[in-house]
Amino acid sequence: MTEILQVVFDALSLGSLYALGALGIALIFGVMRLVNFAHGDTMAFCVFAMLWPSVDAAAIVFAGNLPAWLLIPFILAVGAGLSVLSEIIVFRRFRNTNPATMMIASFALGFVIRYFLLMLYSSRPKSIDLWSNLGLPVEILGARIPLLQVITIVTAIAILIALTFFLKRTRFGLEMRAAAENFTMARMLGVRANRVIMLAFALSGMLAAAVALILVTQTGTADIQMGGNIMLIAFIATVIGGLGSLPGAVFAGFLIGAIATVMQVVLPPEARPFRDAFVYAAVIATLIWRPNGIFMPKSAKQRV
Amino acid sequence: MTLWHKLGMGMAVSGLVLSATLAHADDDKIVVGFATAASGFMQAYDKPAQDAAMIKIDEINKAGGLLGKQIEVVTADTKTDRAEGAKAGLEVIDKGADLVVVSCDYDFGSPAALAAESAGKISFFLCAESIKAGIQGVGPHSFSASVLAPVQGATMAEWAYNKKNARKFYRLLDTWTEYNKGICDGFDWMLPRLKDAKLVGEDTFKNEDASIAAQITRIKSLPEQPDAIMLCSMMPGVVSAIKQIRAAGITAPILNGSGVDGSYWLSAVPDLSNFFTPVQGSIYGDDPNKDVTAFNAKYKEVTGADPSSQYVYPGYVMIDVWAKAVERAKSTDADAVVAELEKMKDEPTLFGPRSFSSEIHHQNRGRYLIVETDKGKPRVIDEWTISEAIPVDYLVSK
Amino acid sequence: MAERASILSRTIATPVILGLLLTAIALLALLMGSGPFNQTIIDIFIRVILVVGLYIFIGNSGVISFGHIGFTCLGAYMTAWLTIPPPMKKMALPGLPGFVLEAKLPFWVGVPAAAIFAALIAFFFGKILMRLSGIAASIATFAMLALINQIYSNWEDVTGATSSVVGIPINRSIWPYFVATLVAVAIGYAYSISRSGLALRAARDEATAAAASGVDIPKERLRAFVISAFVMGGGGALYAHSVGVVTPDTFYLGLTFISLSMLVVGGMGSLSGAVIGVVLLSTIIQILRLFEKGVALGDTVLTIPNGVQEIAIGVIMIVILMRRPAGLIGNREVGWKGFRKA
Repeated sequence: MTEILQVVFDALSLGSLYALGALGIALIFGVMRLVNFAHGDTMAFCVFAMLWPSVDAAAIVFAGNLPAWLLIPFILAVGAGLSVLSEIIVFRRFRNTNPATMMIASFALGFVIRYFLLMLYSSRPKSIDLWSNLGLPVEILGARIPLLQVITIVTAIAILIALTFFLKRTRFGLEMRAAAENFTMARMLGVRANRVIMLAFALSGMLAAAVALILVTQTGTADIQMGGNIMLIAFIATVIGGLGSLPGAVFAGFLIGAIATVMQVVLPPEARPFRDAFVYAAVIATLIWRPNGIFMPKSAKQRV
Repeated sequence: MTLWHKLGMGMAVSGLVLSATLAHADDDKIVVGFATAASGFMQAYDKPAQDAAMIKIDEINKAGGLLGKQIEVVTADTKTDRAEGAKAGLEVIDKGADLVVVSCDYDFGSPAALAAESAGKISFFLCAESIKAGIQGVGPHSFSASVLAPVQGATMAEWAYNKKNARKFYRLLDTWTEYNKGICDGFDWMLPRLKDAKLVGEDTFKNEDASIAAQITRIKSLPEQPDAIMLCSMMPGVVSAIKQIRAAGITAPILNGSGVDGSYWLSAVPDLSNFFTPVQGSIYGDDPNKDVTAFNAKYKEVTGADPSSQYVYPGYVMIDVWAKAVERAKSTDADAVVAELEKMKDEPTLFGPRSFSSEIHHQNRGRYLIVETDKGKPRVIDEWTISEAIPVDYLVSK
Repeated sequence: MAERASILSRTIATPVILGLLLTAIALLALLMGSGPFNQTIIDIFIRVILVVGLYIFIGNSGVISFGHIGFTCLGAYMTAWLTIPPPMKKMALPGLPGFVLEAKLPFWVGVPAAAIFAALIAFFFGKILMRLSGIAASIATFAMLALINQIYSNWEDVTGATSSVVGIPINRSIWPYFVATLVAVAIGYAYSISRSGLALRAARDEATAAAASGVDIPKERLRAFVISAFVMGGGGALYAHSVGVVTPDTFYLGLTFISLSMLVVGGMGSLSGAVIGVVLLSTIIQILRLFEKGVALGDTVLTIPNGVQEIAIGVIMIVILMRRPAGLIGNREVGWKGFRKA
């Protein structure tokens, strides 16, 4: 029983990371049909913002030394700032271009951010000890769960609730949902496009920062490529969930986390290295089963 | 954008390349060519070993050179890219390199090494630790300056068995790279040779895994906890794995490969204890050989920083053994130098003895210092050489 | 038939001009006679093949595929299986079937065999995937790439897992690569003026109308998918022979995005765009690399710091796309008198 509980917690904590990542991608896709490949690099940037630039092997922790009540808003602001900046400098000029062009532009932007970090910090992974006491285990129903796992899950759920509230109850949220549903129509009805899009980017950047904080606490490492893997899974989750559907993205994020964890538990040792192959096969199967995602938003219905 | 416009651009490029390749070697100097990464991911790994190689080259030049000639260095950047690596190899050969030094990692170094091999030049991997970095994966003129990864796994298994009384082992493999698998291969080879030692469980993960919670749950639900965990992994994922293992309350000794050497990452896991690493030389100032500590000081003087890990040292060893072979052969002719290198049997170097033979251009046995990290402080506690060399057949079959 | 002839006469200029451009590049390499430069040109030729391969599917169908580099991987390993000397194969890849283990085929057999193998696998994947369209198809192709990569990274006995496969005969002569590039451009051209290519482009621009006029979209897409996989597989095999080592991670996200970027920057819907995009971006990269090494201008040596090249190429790509969202060439093709609409 406790073992099953342990697996449930493992799955939930991995799923929370994927869900937060997926939400960051889905928000922007919703308002401007942009698949933002720079999202993972935004995460890495947030992590490195805690360090002073240096190519030495040992990390010079800078902002990372701030107390939590200052550090968390600081990193969130960095994420939001970078994200909004990329909208102003780059993506604004790509409104109304085709999705492929925007996607490649976002990839190129991510490439620039990554190599910029590489120049400043070198490719060597750096270590940061952030709140290591969060690694201590707590007992829940007989299972010993690291506190960080619990915090990850709770944070993810809190963010999801807060975002739902924001989208459902505030004017901004209403505008954003309207924009996600039908951007042209929303604009005609008086939704200010630039403001909504900027807001979406700011939120998405903050989500990237949140994922970055959790990742860095969990791994203790700052690595240039650290956002990449989560971003890919998040990207897949967004599509499986139904592009443009925020609840869908979150659900699919948790689903992929659960599948990956369960595979690791049930597969025999020889097959375990093929774990991800099974996950990707499941992705293809899901897409064949529901080409528009599990939760298809109304706007995605093809008229043919 | 006309065709001519573009051709013109091409011409401009080619003109510049031409001027770059005119510098051919003449006979009053010996040329060492570095086809290594000066940018990109591998740069952080190639640069330190290359700096150490330069220190040795400098020492030789100051002492009157090699065969009475000064050693000149030429470089080409592989950009951490395989196709660029092949180009870089060809480029240093064009510039007259007698010795082609290639990237630390077999995957990234081999294109340049293959280029050297087909030009009949000696190639040396800065610190690759796969059996392929040599005869088996490049050809009869290729060598590696480091010690095979399987030796590290075997060393840790045998040492822990004898000195830590470990009998029940757990094996946790990160399937990301060949290096990781190599460590575990050496461990697998050694384990059946240790009486009463057994494997109580095994698992795999991937370096990029955001969480290894499921793997940890498996260790914790074992009927009996292991005496030691053989962790076959490397940066950056290994730090995350160690942090999560310790956070979960697993205190068993962790055995590693040399890839985790260095104190730069220890801040991520405060007060890490019961953690063991094999190294060729100590960067912590407590090497039993005082000359190593002197080298560390020299390294700091030249580069401005202490060595960050033991992977600095193979660069020095490489130039050392190659220069000795050149002196003995009285020539830089590739075949003559290879013959001299293959005669080396336990040739003393600053960082342990080195042997090469016509069968293997790598170390399938080697002296390792054992570094223990206790409460976040690493120090040398022991020294170990595996009781028998790992057979070449076994290494190749992996 | 007469129609076909008229299409041919109207469009034949494109492959001829592109062929001349490639010939000029090959002659340049010959003229230089420098090893590294020769290798650079071989590299550019392989890139052209890969991007033309992408064009055949993406350009004609309008569906972004992230999966094609998977076929490059299949091709590279296939030629490795066939051309590595048997003793080395038995050691490193013992899980191969007996007749492959015994085989020692030359380079010019390995490459076409690799292309056919990639096309065959593409046929099976395509049967399933070509039912999808839009972004779902893109993600499904990405999942296919990841699937191929995962299998090749872990199938110890047959692919050597993550370890490099060595012993592939290296060919440093420029001619096989040149000829293969010409063949790839010819295939790209032939497909784009074929009935299937025209139908697929019609479906790309007006799906409803095309479907109503009897175009079986999944079937036409499958054709393009298989033909482009053939080209990608051949390109992968050539890559293997140009470098001499293959590993699965060579053929993953990095190569996928670089090739896609070159296609989009050149102009997604245009064969000329595919070729010119590669040539242009490669030239810019080479120039930047020269500056990284230092270029003497008069008495001063101009040097940019290492690593700036990557940043600069990213910025240049973004700027090109800002100025020309449809790519440098857009939807046009080169003709005798400048550009014409494709």
